[in-house]
Amino acid sequence: MAASLQDIQRRIASTKKTRQITSAMQMVSTAKLSQIQRHGGSYTVYAEALHDVVAHLATAHINNVSGTLLEHRDVEKVGFLVLSSDRGLVGGYNSTLLKELMSQITERQLRTDQVVILAVGGNGADFFKKRGFDVAYEYRGVSDVPTFNEVREIVKTVTTMYDNEVFDELIVGYQHYVSRISNEVHLEKMLPVSTDDLAESKDDTKLTADYEMEPSSEQILGVVLPQYAESLVYGAILDAKTAEHAASANAMSSATDNAKDIIDSLGLQYNRARQSAITTEITEITGGMAALN
Amino acid sequence: MSEHTLHVKVVTPNGVVFEHETASLVVLDTTNGEEGIMAQHAPIISALQISELKVIDEATDSEEIIAISGGFGEFSNNQLTIVSDSAERAKDIDVERAKRAKERAEKHIAASETDDIVRAQTALLRAANRIHAVTGNK
Repeated sequence: MAASLQDIQRRIASTKKTRQITSAMQMVSTAKLSQIQRHGGSYTVYAEALHDVVAHLATAHINNVSGTLLEHRDVEKVGFLVLSSDRGLVGGYNSTLLKELMSQITERQLRTDQVVILAVGGNGADFFKKRGFDVAYEYRGVSDVPTFNEVREIVKTVTTMYDNEVFDELIVGYQHYVSRISNEVHLEKMLPVSTDDLAESKDDTKLTADYEMEPSSEQILGVVLPQYAESLVYGAILDAKTAEHAASANAMSSATDNAKDIIDSLGLQYNRARQSAITTEITEITGGMAALN
Repeated sequence: MSEHTLHVKVVTPNGVVFEHETASLVVLDTTNGEEGIMAQHAPIISALQISELKVIDEATDSEEIIAISGGFGEFSNNQLTIVSDSAERAKDIDVERAKRAKERAEKHIAASETDDIVRAQTALLRAANRIHAVTGNK
């Protein structure tokens, strides 16, 4: 009995330590989350300014789209940009995303050789490699609050691959940050840039003026569209990172709660064991006294 | 805002880098050559080179130089918005860093295959532009 008392004590101590770690990790994730949210705010200004102009250009002025990112090619290969996390301890963050991607691939009846995987984050890369997909690009170690300079390399590689017809359509799969407690898997077609989406959102833009174009609208589109595509991908990465921090904060918070539950029930067990040990002792003593009389 | 000034804003993914409410003249280096924009200019969208943006305020007799790496400018309603993937005010530029980047880019160009050369050249242009923005005008 005494050994089991000690066992329980040891388990309580170790669970307490785990709880300390998970609650520290929760705080770290929460701090990172608010950091990236601040950063995301300043990015939104840029994205909106860019979007307004692209929407304006794409809907009003373009007759000749061939050779631009607006052009639709026959889809032979589909590129999937998978934004997963490097680390674990983020709850269902990776698994729901990967599941969703796999079901999309089956749904569209794509063979393994029709899929090109571009993986940002180790989890996604490992997952698709294990299943025999062609992982054409792999990037690990995106920092907690990615800057545009850092991501530029990824973004440039992706758009260059598209230009070189490594794939004819780019779908970006990531967890979209909804709120501190929920994320949502998004699978967005980012390339070719869809004029329909732009037209739909055009009502929101503030740009109504009839612009002079310097040099020509085609040439401007040539400059603006790649920049727009880059900004979309960067936005997705930022969003995914935000969601990752939120998911991690969540996972750690529930781990902390669970640890508390375990400690409580272990405490109960410990007291019961102690009590029964005492009871046994008393019975032994009274038994001994009775024998003496 | 008076009639003879315009509002300039430089936007990058890292937020609004520079904002000036009362500029009298802004000089852009477009892919077609230099272009000055003053208040009440006709609405225009122009593609920019990796270049310096000059914002002149005659009222305070001040001039601000901003190094930008491409992008475009959009002018309407007396507001000029420069959208670029990176931009720095001359006084914020780290010259040492830019010089190192320049050397690195030059090395890349000397050594690399055709694939990387475009990228290295762009990097070189950016670095040279930054250095010029700080040192070239003094």
